[in-house]
Amino acid sequence: MNFAILIPASIFFALLLTIGFYLKNRERHNRSVDFSKEYFIGGRRLNGFVLAMSLVAGYSSVSSFVGGPGIAWQVGFAWVLFASVQIVAAYLILGLLGKKMAVIARKIDAITIIDLIRFRYNSNLLANLCALVILIFFITRMIAQFIGGAQIFAAVTGMNYTTGLLFFAVVVVVYTSIGGFNTVAITDTLCAIMMLIGMAFLTYTIFDRGHGLAAIMQTIHNVSGTAGNAEMFSPTAGGKIPVPLLISQWILCGIGTVGLPQSAVRCISYKDTRSVHRAMIIGTIVCGAMMIGMPLLGVLAHGVITEPLSEIGKTTDAIIPMLIAGYMNPWLAGITIIGPLAATLSTISSLLITGSSAVVKDIYLFYAKDKDSAKSQKNISRISMTVTAVMGMIPVILAISPPDVIVWINLFAFGGLETAFFWILLFGFFWHKANSQGAVLSLVGGLAAYCVTMALGIKIASFHNIVIGIGTGLILFILGSLLTKEPTDKVKRIFFPELY
Amino acid sequence: MKNLSYKEKFVQMNREARVICIVTAVIIAFWWLTAFGINEYITLFYLPLWLIVSCIGTYVLAVVLLIFAIKKFFVDFSLDEDAPEKEQNSK
Repeated sequence: MNFAILIPASIFFALLLTIGFYLKNRERHNRSVDFSKEYFIGGRRLNGFVLAMSLVAGYSSVSSFVGGPGIAWQVGFAWVLFASVQIVAAYLILGLLGKKMAVIARKIDAITIIDLIRFRYNSNLLANLCALVILIFFITRMIAQFIGGAQIFAAVTGMNYTTGLLFFAVVVVVYTSIGGFNTVAITDTLCAIMMLIGMAFLTYTIFDRGHGLAAIMQTIHNVSGTAGNAEMFSPTAGGKIPVPLLISQWILCGIGTVGLPQSAVRCISYKDTRSVHRAMIIGTIVCGAMMIGMPLLGVLAHGVITEPLSEIGKTTDAIIPMLIAGYMNPWLAGITIIGPLAATLSTISSLLITGSSAVVKDIYLFYAKDKDSAKSQKNISRISMTVTAVMGMIPVILAISPPDVIVWINLFAFGGLETAFFWILLFGFFWHKANSQGAVLSLVGGLAAYCVTMALGIKIASFHNIVIGIGTGLILFILGSLLTKEPTDKVKRIFFPELY
Repeated sequence: MKNLSYKEKFVQMNREARVICIVTAVIIAFWWLTAFGINEYITLFYLPLWLIVSCIGTYVLAVVLLIFAIKKFFVDFSLDEDAPEKEQNSK
């Protein structure tokens, strides 16, 4: 094991922890006035740059940095095309929902997405269902991130899996639970910067070790279409990524990202309209660079790693760790490894703080009696930090030897969250007839349709099941809303003042 | 910064949402056309031309369209304060 490779990551971890403790201290006053607002949405103070970076970092996960590029290595340029639909992931949610959520959240003093949903649909049943969905899918997604992060950490440093896992898991759980949302946003920003730096070093290494683009492309030409590799120059990888799958991808990783609650929460935490305008542009620049850049690097890595898959451990997940561990000097490798770890950390911290807000704010505080006294601010503070820490530790413990069922549920998590929240958010803010009956039907029915067809392997052509989930959700929502009563005037005056 | 009433803000935000829908429609159309409308075997700088135009081209197009759309159609207003309603509520 090489210790030099661990030094940059250790410094980075120490920095993240310092930020957590520093911001906690700086927010002391604000926290004593309104703890939840400070801890769960950072007092609505995010500027454009931090908003953009934390949105993108929270979105891009270990699979954008390790899993995806590995598959690209095998499938070829079609995978770059497949991943490039995510170009809309940063601006679409901000552009469609960003301002409305910000305006209404201030009007009704909403701290969480579920606060907004509860008010809009005037339904505690719906709010509780939403909290439950967030809880289940966030925890399984966190476990998957912990597993992925620990694996790459182990692969690159030679550390044992469990030690590596605990090493960075403790860091992220501590700084998130101590520091709250502002810490998550600032550390996410640093994480995004480290991801970009890691990408730059990977680019340099690939071009240097592959002897330039011409030589790399020649190598790819030679392996394209041979056993184990697809038609690497075809936009469908010679039919391996059929057109219906590409259409589904536009829903799953493109338009559907509007329904991700961990992204939506950013819409109620920024400072002013200038911030959200700037964030749409910066976010798209950074998101595009990562989502197109990383798989492209994965394909070009073929110029460096030419062995067939069977000789490198049979899994394409090994490609990026191999590049870092095998083809870089220890210092460069030490800095580059922060990239994928940062992708993991930022996703976990975003999920953790949003998940914890669902438990504390949407379930505990909502059903608790005494909310106002100064004494209870202290109480809320203690409970919030404890819940966040516990919620962080559960996935860590489960990740040590992950039960199969968790890995299995994680397959549903991304699409499941979108199926549940996409129409609730979109119709909630843009269709005045949308009501709680429609929303509950859509959430339950859409999710059921999605999960059951996924689990049983039922498919329509080669469409991804997200199409079934979102489609079912849409139909049920419209039917449910049209057949029952419209929302009350009180709700409509706040959400749709243009009607009056 | 424009001084808008609560109602005017929503009229403006609906307009902005429509602009974002149009921008997205243009991006999606460009992506499909260039990904499958360009002969697979043409290369530029050793890379397939379809890849450069559909992936990197769409990326650049998205950023340019957004900058244009935000400059032209998006309005800065206060998220906290509302100007008083100008006309009487007519209903």
